[in-house]
Amino acid sequence: MKVTIKTYNAVAYWRWDAPSDDVCGICRVQFDGTCPNCRFPGDDCPILNGKCGHSFHLHCVNDWIQTESSRGLCPMCRQKFEFEAE
Amino acid sequence: MTSTQKQQQQAANNAEGGAKKKKVTAAQLRAQKDIAELSLPPTMRTHFPDPDDILNFELKIEPDEGIYKGGLFKFTFSINNNFPHEPPKVRCTQKIYHPNIDLDGNVCLNILREDWKPVLNLNAVMVGLQFLFLEPNPSDPLNKEAAEDLRLTKESFKRNVRQSMQGGFVKSVQFDRVLK
Repeated sequence: MKVTIKTYNAVAYWRWDAPSDDVCGICRVQFDGTCPNCRFPGDDCPILNGKCGHSFHLHCVNDWIQTESSRGLCPMCRQKFEFEAE
Repeated sequence: MTSTQKQQQQAANNAEGGAKKKKVTAAQLRAQKDIAELSLPPTMRTHFPDPDDILNFELKIEPDEGIYKGGLFKFTFSINNNFPHEPPKVRCTQKIYHPNIDLDGNVCLNILREDWKPVLNLNAVMVGLQFLFLEPNPSDPLNKEAAEDLRLTKESFKRNVRQSMQGGFVKSVQFDRVLK
């Protein structure tokens, strides 16, 4: 039997390189989801991996670092929050 | 545009505006998760006076051991829109004799102040509050007299706590009766 493909729909799947059941410690939403202020997951709402080993939504940890009381520390372990620029 | 059409458009705009106002905020989302995940011991209960407002609620603590055993202590929690970047505001609604709670109900607990961080949840705050009744902390006090009392003679402090919990006077200040 010969089949002629007329049209097809390509479907892609992506996820962050983070444990799938892990949540952002700040907003408690899964990393594969978005921070509370974004609507679509993906490059517009990325994850930031701190050198201390703790990860957060970029927007979440950014809001925290900008508060005076954060003193620039990781909300999880209280070490200085640093990350490697990609 | 006829006046009926205008009215319809107005109604549509209002509906839209109303929907926008009801948008769930980040603070509400996070508070909702924290409240759903509460696992409190039988000595603590929450109460929501307005079930539609999850950002303002009450907590009752009934310590089952320690100096404050037999009392029922009430707190209000008020969460603002910067939560979880700012801690919830917690106050004791009764006038009680405690080194870490002043006569106006302000609470001195590290995780409600300088040590707050957004990964802490409401459960941690509540357990921290209960801990204040099990282990009142005379260093870094809000009620200096009570702290001094605890530091000098624990027996006298215990007596004064019992006295205050019955609604009696301690050093010419009358306290609220908080016994169950």
